[in-house]
Amino acid sequence: MLDFFSIFGKGGIVLWCFQSTGHIFTPSVNALIRTVILQERGGGSNSFDHESLTLKYKLDNEFDLVFVVAFQKILQLSYVDKLLDDVQLEFRDLYRQQLQGLRPGLEFRRPFERVLAAAEEWGRRQDNQPRQMRSFEQSHKSKKTVSSMIERPHEQKNQKTGKAGKRNKEQEQEKEAAVKESPPPTPAAPASPRNGSGAGELDEETMALNRMRLAQRLGSPNASKKKAAADKQKSPKAKKTGKAPTQWDLGGTNKDVASLERTKDKDGVRQDTYDSKLVGQMVGGIKDLEVDSSDDDDEQDEERQVRLARTKESGLLSMFKGLVGNKSLSRETMQPALDKMCDLLIAKNVAADIAKKLCESVATKLDGKVIGTFEGVASVVKTTLTESLMQILSPRRRVDILRDALESQRKGRPFVMTFCGVNGVGKSTNLAKICFWLIENDLRVLVAACDTFRAGAVEQLRTHVRHLNNLHPAERHNGREMVQLYEKGYGKDAAGIAMEAINFAREARLDVVLVDTAGRMQDNEPLMRALAKLIKVNDPDLVLFVGEALVGNEAVDQLVKFNQAMADYSAAEHPHLIDGIVLTKFDTIDDKVGAAISMTYITGQPIVFVGTGQTYTDLKSLNAKAVVHALMK
Amino acid sequence: MALSPEILGILIAVFVIALTAAFLFWQRRRTSRSGILVVGLNDSGKTLMFSQIVYNEFVDTFTSMKENIGDFTASKSVLKIIDIPGHERVRAKFFDEHKRNARGIAFLVDASNLQSNIRDAAEYLYSILTDPVIASSAPSFLIVCNKQDQTMAKGSVAVKKLLEKELNLLRKTKSSRLASLDNTTDNAVFLGQEDKDFEFEHLNKIKVEFAETALFSAANEEGVQLEQVEDWLERVSA
Repeated sequence: MLDFFSIFGKGGIVLWCFQSTGHIFTPSVNALIRTVILQERGGGSNSFDHESLTLKYKLDNEFDLVFVVAFQKILQLSYVDKLLDDVQLEFRDLYRQQLQGLRPGLEFRRPFERVLAAAEEWGRRQDNQPRQMRSFEQSHKSKKTVSSMIERPHEQKNQKTGKAGKRNKEQEQEKEAAVKESPPPTPAAPASPRNGSGAGELDEETMALNRMRLAQRLGSPNASKKKAAADKQKSPKAKKTGKAPTQWDLGGTNKDVASLERTKDKDGVRQDTYDSKLVGQMVGGIKDLEVDSSDDDDEQDEERQVRLARTKESGLLSMFKGLVGNKSLSRETMQPALDKMCDLLIAKNVAADIAKKLCESVATKLDGKVIGTFEGVASVVKTTLTESLMQILSPRRRVDILRDALESQRKGRPFVMTFCGVNGVGKSTNLAKICFWLIENDLRVLVAACDTFRAGAVEQLRTHVRHLNNLHPAERHNGREMVQLYEKGYGKDAAGIAMEAINFAREARLDVVLVDTAGRMQDNEPLMRALAKLIKVNDPDLVLFVGEALVGNEAVDQLVKFNQAMADYSAAEHPHLIDGIVLTKFDTIDDKVGAAISMTYITGQPIVFVGTGQTYTDLKSLNAKAVVHALMK
Repeated sequence: MALSPEILGILIAVFVIALTAAFLFWQRRRTSRSGILVVGLNDSGKTLMFSQIVYNEFVDTFTSMKENIGDFTASKSVLKIIDIPGHERVRAKFFDEHKRNARGIAFLVDASNLQSNIRDAAEYLYSILTDPVIASSAPSFLIVCNKQDQTMAKGSVAVKKLLEKELNLLRKTKSSRLASLDNTTDNAVFLGQEDKDFEFEHLNKIKVEFAETALFSAANEEGVQLEQVEDWLERVSA
């Protein structure tokens, strides 16, 4: 039944392996390691699906081993977790002495078969047992408070309190479900609308539906009356839902367009003063971000050197380490330290789910690990958490925009970057900053104004382009204009404008195209469709999500929904998801830098730029060490 | 000759101090840099090469999560071989831990799909060469072109040319340009000479050599084709 079982060290060398088919399992196991373990997603379940296989794994932190079992995804084997535990114990008992050296080629077949038979037998016994009834503690009813279960007959009259009561009951249920381990959800009416509407907020229609269903269950004579009331509620609401055309204050018809048109300049050139001190400051790579005073860093570095030196010289002391008792970490001992770390992260503006998942993955990494008596549990937990954070913030792939732009220049086609995000995060401002950086490095840029909705978007970009061309006049660059703007006014289709802009850039042999899109909320379906269409049609080289550093738990929602929309509405085998993140308004947070962690954890993509102000030189690149240092202070 | 006890005492103290100092100095010199780092991209064969050098065995491997440390006895001294995982997220951490101990660095390259990975490989090599600790301690480099048993594998001469071309471009995009309004950005280590195209010979302190291996085919053969690597190890340990 099992296709594959392997025991290997964390360094990668396989100690023992068993496979029952001829299939090559290396890619699946490598995918497991790369996506789950190395990306700190080891917190929740320990199973991972790859192609047609399900892989389950267990880490042994004392001897640095990994146990992996693989079987077909369609099978539902109940004994696999127990098998992993038993095999781990058996293996450790047999080879405790030899595990210090980790030589490959250990003989384990017979004990393994014995353990496997025992586990299969246990699984069969479990399946044949009749299903146990739930105890009262496990039931859903024990989670409700008494007052919420009392039905008031005049519930229909006072609609407001009814809504509030229902919402309170939902929140209480959610809170209590979060506090205790949640049992399998009962198919009660309150549960289903919760599944349907995401974060536990009810809108009017589902509320009416709830009330109707409750009335039907009670069989009260008021059921039909309530239904009529619900219908009446629905019809005026039907007019409210759906997109209504925007009402401008001055009103107007098509004939007024001529007077409202501001995309062309009025006659006369304006006399503007430009700040030419900025020229030359962004040449080369982007400067690293500095988060706090660097004196602390130097001191800490020196401390670390001293500590390292001391541990190296303590060859004598290591003899005594064996005499002093070692303790091994378990979840109970780590829990208070982990909770403190979790609270610290949340206080630094990391999203709550992400902080919890991170602490879970640290617990998995340290479970069973042996530490010396001179190390405290809290310090070990803190070091491991720091390492995990560093790992999350290190980019998974190479981030070098200049190099990729040069590569596209060589191939004769422009390098296309798209900026997307919700309203008001700083897309246009940061686009201008990135444009300045690119022209400082002698690349010619085309800005495509695909924000055709917001008033003044095109003018804003035109002003930036004029300013930039003034800072880098064509005379200094062999008579070539460094920045150009491609716009088609308002109200047109963004995807079409982007396509035309890219063709224009290709013919004019421009190097980079920066596409500015309109801000949109993540649950606005038609706008997300439009964005997905723009990306599918134009296939940009880089899709950057612009997010502000002030955002807290909302970052999770935004990124998840953006990625999901791009995956769903693109109708391709391998949809083009978010490739990178631009973190803006970084100067407004002092050291509450948790948004960086939330965003990189959700998408797994690196933070490419950090915006730290509103002038052209306020563009930095992420310095992982400084950010983690500020987080863990 | 009758020495007074004080002078005798002082002489003995000075002698003991001198002996201790000499002992510590000799100890430090011996253990100071005795490590060989094995680095490279994901899936280039580092853990396999490590186990063949240290254990003389061919093993199956998966992606490493942690470094592997083992000893190799050269003719004169014992070298510590350290295999650093190639996964982008963890390689910096392990490299920083062990770079101080590096006497030589073996950079493995998968010669069969170098063309598609050239930018990643060159960036990794660039980041190692410009690291301030490495630049000052100047270990010797060996660039091993692995997977020669595959049909499309490039030889060491072709790999050398490809890397040189890529590093030439990289040093421009990574470091500051020489413009008149220049105030430079970050680290100032500029590889090679500025007016000429980059070549490995221009690195005056660091010596770079090339070797070819085919580690996977060694399952059935003796004398694996690690001769070039072992020669280099002998030379480094001297």
